[in-house]
Amino acid sequence: MTSLEVRGITKRFGALTAVDEVAFQVAPGEICGFIGPNGAGKTTTMRICATLELPDHGDVLVDGVSVLEEPRLARARIGFMPDAYGAYANTTVLEYLDFFARAYHLAGAQKRQTIERVVAFTTLDSMLEKEIAALSKGMKQRLCLAKTLLHDPGVLILDEPAAGLDPRARVELRELVRALAEMGKAILLSSHILSELAEMCSTVVVIERGKLRGAGAVGDVVRSVTPRTRFFLRALAGPEAAERTLLERPHVLEVRRERDGVSFELEGGPQEQAELLAALVGAGLRPTEFSTRETDLEDAFLSLTEGRLQ
Amino acid sequence: MSGLAAAPARRLTERVNPILVKEVRQALRGRYFRVMFWLTLGVATLAGLLVVADAASSQDVEEIGQPFFLVMFACMSAAVHAFVPFSAFLSTSAEWDENTHDLLVLSNLGPRQIVTGKLFSALTQALLYYSTFGPFLVFAFLLNGIDLLTISVLLVCSLAACVGLSLVGIALASLARVKAARGLLMAMFGAALVMTWGGSIGAAGELASSPQDLRDPEGQLAVVFFLTAALFLGGLFGIIAAARFAHEEENRSTGLRLLSLGLVVLAGAWGAWLRAQFGDEEFAWGTQVGAASMLLLLWLFFLTERDTLGRRTAAHLPARRGLALCLVPILPGGGRAVWLFLVHFLGALLGARVALEFGATKPGDALEASAMVAAFYGYAFVYLALPTGIASFVVRSERARVFVRVTTLVLFPVAILGPALVGLLLGIEDWMKLRHPLNPIWVMDELEGSARDQAGLTLALSGLMLGVLLTLALNAKRMLAGVGEVLAASRARRAREQRA
Repeated sequence: MTSLEVRGITKRFGALTAVDEVAFQVAPGEICGFIGPNGAGKTTTMRICATLELPDHGDVLVDGVSVLEEPRLARARIGFMPDAYGAYANTTVLEYLDFFARAYHLAGAQKRQTIERVVAFTTLDSMLEKEIAALSKGMKQRLCLAKTLLHDPGVLILDEPAAGLDPRARVELRELVRALAEMGKAILLSSHILSELAEMCSTVVVIERGKLRGAGAVGDVVRSVTPRTRFFLRALAGPEAAERTLLERPHVLEVRRERDGVSFELEGGPQEQAELLAALVGAGLRPTEFSTRETDLEDAFLSLTEGRLQ
Repeated sequence: MSGLAAAPARRLTERVNPILVKEVRQALRGRYFRVMFWLTLGVATLAGLLVVADAASSQDVEEIGQPFFLVMFACMSAAVHAFVPFSAFLSTSAEWDENTHDLLVLSNLGPRQIVTGKLFSALTQALLYYSTFGPFLVFAFLLNGIDLLTISVLLVCSLAACVGLSLVGIALASLARVKAARGLLMAMFGAALVMTWGGSIGAAGELASSPQDLRDPEGQLAVVFFLTAALFLGGLFGIIAAARFAHEEENRSTGLRLLSLGLVVLAGAWGAWLRAQFGDEEFAWGTQVGAASMLLLLWLFFLTERDTLGRRTAAHLPARRGLALCLVPILPGGGRAVWLFLVHFLGALLGARVALEFGATKPGDALEASAMVAAFYGYAFVYLALPTGIASFVVRSERARVFVRVTTLVLFPVAILGPALVGLLLGIEDWMKLRHPLNPIWVMDELEGSARDQAGLTLALSGLMLGVLLTLALNAKRMLAGVGEVLAASRARRAREQRA
């Protein structure tokens, strides 16, 4: 069963098409990374999924419930953590959670137990009597996550949850998100820290200028953009000479100058690799390193997107 | 609190609106309420002492109660008519500023619960002020010079005003998403509250100096009218605020449309009561024209709504065709707003006619009442539905709809004052004095005064009739589409139910 199904949504703001026919799915227990450059339409898409914006076309189903036809029912199934963190003035952590627990119609023992559960999960136990204003950024993110979990939603939409966090807080947040996925929750998560997403997410959706550029399992998306093996060459003759030589060789594609060497793609198998290496030595480049390079999510992202802002 | 009493108290607070609990906590802990509370109390105590000292020095202690009461009322009025509504504005505005608006609307709290929570929190603060000033007001009564009825009426009116103003504050803050717009609204609302404060002091002084007015029917009528107007406006703004907290696909229009129908019925009841009380036949149509004047802005909003139904509203329409048809005027959509206008018109005609029956009638009264109502509604229809009907062919975006609303609002004074300027240039004296067919006030005045300018009136009424027909023709397409859409949605619901 699909927990979150985005069905060809389009959203326009005047002449600008912020989201254009975007469609993807997130299954229960899946962490889906939502990536794209600034202004790509990530937040708009997430806000549509969270029932906070209205699409011009298309629909989003949360556990089969349309966010357009039954927004209230859909909201009960969604936990949304916005990028702009919201907190009330003159309010302690416990009062904040108590307020939202009441707002989700929890009362009595059920309310108390729910607050205890989310507080224990986010390890906010020692902070309950603290004013929210006195919390660190990491603690505020935990509090916001605790609030998001109060009504035990099946789908979590987390917009840049790791933004501004220090490395330790990021690692802790990652563990919390993984634990939530293990509980069977479908998680759609946007972030600019692609290495972290690659480690945490099982699937990924890439969006740019409102258009879907790629979607699927992380490995599939990476393979889809780089079907050929990428190599790295470092030579004593220097990167300029190496680049010049490589550009003259057959089967060599996508040559890119890097800090202390050159990376490139090569069509063919071991035979072509051996011939190229011999040619490089013969050309007097004096190679010191000739290795294959692992393609990661960052490479895939750069290949899929053009980096242009809307 | 003992353990025995604590459990029921806890159970009770569990049932209270969560926003009320949160906001009262915040207010009592926040600086705004504490500063304003002690400032008001300090000023009131000081002013009260000055009044007593002044009376004691002038040996005029016979009726010291009245000035003492007025000083206390002025201080209390500052709190409940300015500070409390302003704090309701700030509290709603803070939802935008602190990025909690989205979190709030995503919770299980309905839009009405959010608005009532904010209103009750404002009223809790107001009650704190009332209870603080209560002893002073009782003391004023004991000092002689003011009677209990005046004190009671002023307190009830001030509470109604506090409710109305707080709801206006909540609605205004909920309307402006952009900070700059909220700042502008805050300044305007603050200025309006200061003026209201001044007005309430003036009214209190007036009533305190002539308490017999409250025993006359006119005085009682004024009090009842004030209470009705304050609560109606409060209700209207409350519905507007609730609509702002609702999902965009939610039906935000039907509540307001029902309220507008309620106002027409209320105007009929008022007209009948006034006619029975005072006998003047003008009350029969006057109340309907007054109610229609209050509805002008609402009509403009309804007529400029997106013509199509939202998917959520469409999905929840009744399967029964007849029932769905009956609901057409109260469902959202510009085309359906024209039907609502026609229902309002028929209701107003009927209301005026029924109200006439509550007193002795002369021949021609019924015709005059119908003509007056028809003339006002005719002009309102042309001025509102003609431009919005034309716009409906081209306007698709929300921004364009706002432009149409503003333009239509501007057209009204232009249509009345424009000919006056032309008259000035061409030397047409009647036009200069606003006696021209585009001015509904002149036309109604002519109708009521048995037509001093028969030719001008005939021209105006002919033009009005043509205007109404043209407006109907321009709106016919969307009116029919509005009905068709409702029938289609009802049919789809029937099909769904049959499949199920």
